[in-house]
Formats: sequence, C-alpha cells, structure tokens
Amino acid sequence: MFRSTILVVSLLTLGWGLAPAFAATPATASATTQAQAVHVIVLDKMVFGPMPTGVRAGDIIEWVNHDIFEHSATARDGSFDIDLKPGATVRTTAKAGSFAFFCKFHPGMTGTLVAR
Amino acid sequence: MNKSLFALVLTLGLGSLASVHAQQAPAAPAINDAQIAHIAYTAGAIDVTAAKQALNKSHNKAVIGFAREMARDHAAVNDQALALAKKLGVTPADNATSQSLAKGAAAEQTKLAALSGAAYDRAYAANEVAFHKAVLAALDGTLIPATQNAELKSLLETGSKLFHEHQMHAEHLAASLK
Repeated sequence: MFRSTILVVSLLTLGWGLAPAFAATPATASATTQAQAVHVIVLDKMVFGPMPTGVRAGDIIEWVNHDIFEHSATARDGSFDIDLKPGATVRTTAKAGSFAFFCKFHPGMTGTLVAR
Repeated sequence: MNKSLFALVLTLGLGSLASVHAQQAPAAPAINDAQIAHIAYTAGAIDVTAAKQALNKSHNKAVIGFAREMARDHAAVNDQALALAKKLGVTPADNATSQSLAKGAAAEQTKLAALSGAAYDRAYAANEVAFHKAVLAALDGTLIPATQNAELKSLLETGSKLFHEHQMHAEHLAASLK
C-alpha cells in the first residue's frame, strides 16, 4: 500500500516551542532554517510505492519499510545504498538528479527518484 | 530433487487432494485454506533447511549470501503465516502434497550432504532453481486461485513475488557457478 505524505516543516507553522523536539535529528534540524519537504517512499509486499513528485535538492526522503522482508534502496550509480530492515524508517537528503535504484536482495524491485 | 520431480510431487499431491475432496464433498473447494497454508509453510521450511545446510557446507561467498537471503526471507514469510493462522483460528492441515514435498526434500538433502566444494555449490544452486520454479508454478496455478481467505491470499501473492525474485537470483547464481 502506497502512502505518500509531504510535510512542510517550518517554524512559521509549528512555532518556536516545538523546535527542540525536532533538533535531535539532523534531517529535521535543517528545517529550522528553511522550509523543507519530507517525501515518504513506502515499501510493502515486495514493491516500492510510487515515487514522490516535486522533490527538490535538499528535501528529505523518508524510506519506510512496511514489508516483512529486509530490503535495500541501492542506487545504480552507487550514490546511495540504504539498508531497510523490516519496520525500519530511514531518512536521507535528496540530491539533484535522476537516480535509478533497486533492492539488492530482490533486484526486480526498482524505482527512479527524481529531484530538481 | 530435480525440477521435473518437484513438479511431479506438486502435481500429484494437489491432484490427490482434489480427488479426495471431490468424493467427500463435491461443492467444497478442491483444497481448503488450512491445507494451502500447510503446503506453503512446508515449502518455506524446506528452503530454510536447505539454506542452513548450505551455510554449513559452502565456502563460496555468493552461495553463502544467497543462502542467508533464503533463510531470512522464507523464515519471515513462515512467521507471518503462523501469525495469520493464529489470528484466523486456523490450524494448518497436513496433507499429501506437504508430505510428498517434505519426503522429496529430505532425499535431496541427503544427496547434497554427500557432495562438497564446487560440486555441492552447483548442485545446491541448481536445486534452488528447480525448487523455486516448481513452487512458483503451484502457487500461481493452483494454490492462490484456490485460496478463500483474503489475508492468506494476499500473503501468498507476496510469497509468489518473493519466489519469483528468488528464482531469478538462483538462476544467476547457478550461471555464475558453471
């Protein structure tokens, strides 16, 4: 089941009082200085969900493995290799470009992430 | 067990189940969900056992990586299957197909145990190709279409995708060992 959520996190909407709660993770800490979108890619039932659109360099990509199997998101050009154990959520920062990726354990699972 | 033997076991086993059910209750499905769950679980357990043997015997990095993947993935499916059976209050029912599969797999394990080195690696990989191909055909051709419960059907469909991936991986492994 695919679920795509774009969360625009900024101090303007959250208020200063919530800032300390987000400061713990580097990905969201950067949101304190600029509006930053979070794009969720869900893996489930041996499939990468549809890719998010409108991704900009510097946005956060949140990889969520809802499957019962260990997977990876491995870029064909070697630019990233993310291990995704069952139930894991991993955040990365998007770079500009088009990145074809696959699961190195199940290479039939593929996707292409595009960021401007 | 070679490809044709695996296929024969599945065909004969599934056929006998259909025959028994046709005599006892013509309106009932040829195979019930409890039997299907048992067959699927047995197939997964067979591959976990084969993987453990490979991990004990092989020194080939690619074979070991493949075996680890088989053990991890099939254990995950079987854990999920057991949890689903518990949730549904279904006890997986032993049947002729499960018994034939287990018997054939035990014989294959004995044959593989007698091999070592590159000969073992090649035989293990070839057997994995045949096993996944035969089970995949049974899943897609008989078991999934016959499954009544939606959650079990969904799990089996995920299992089918997994078996497909494993079959391709096994084929690549086998080709690399020639």
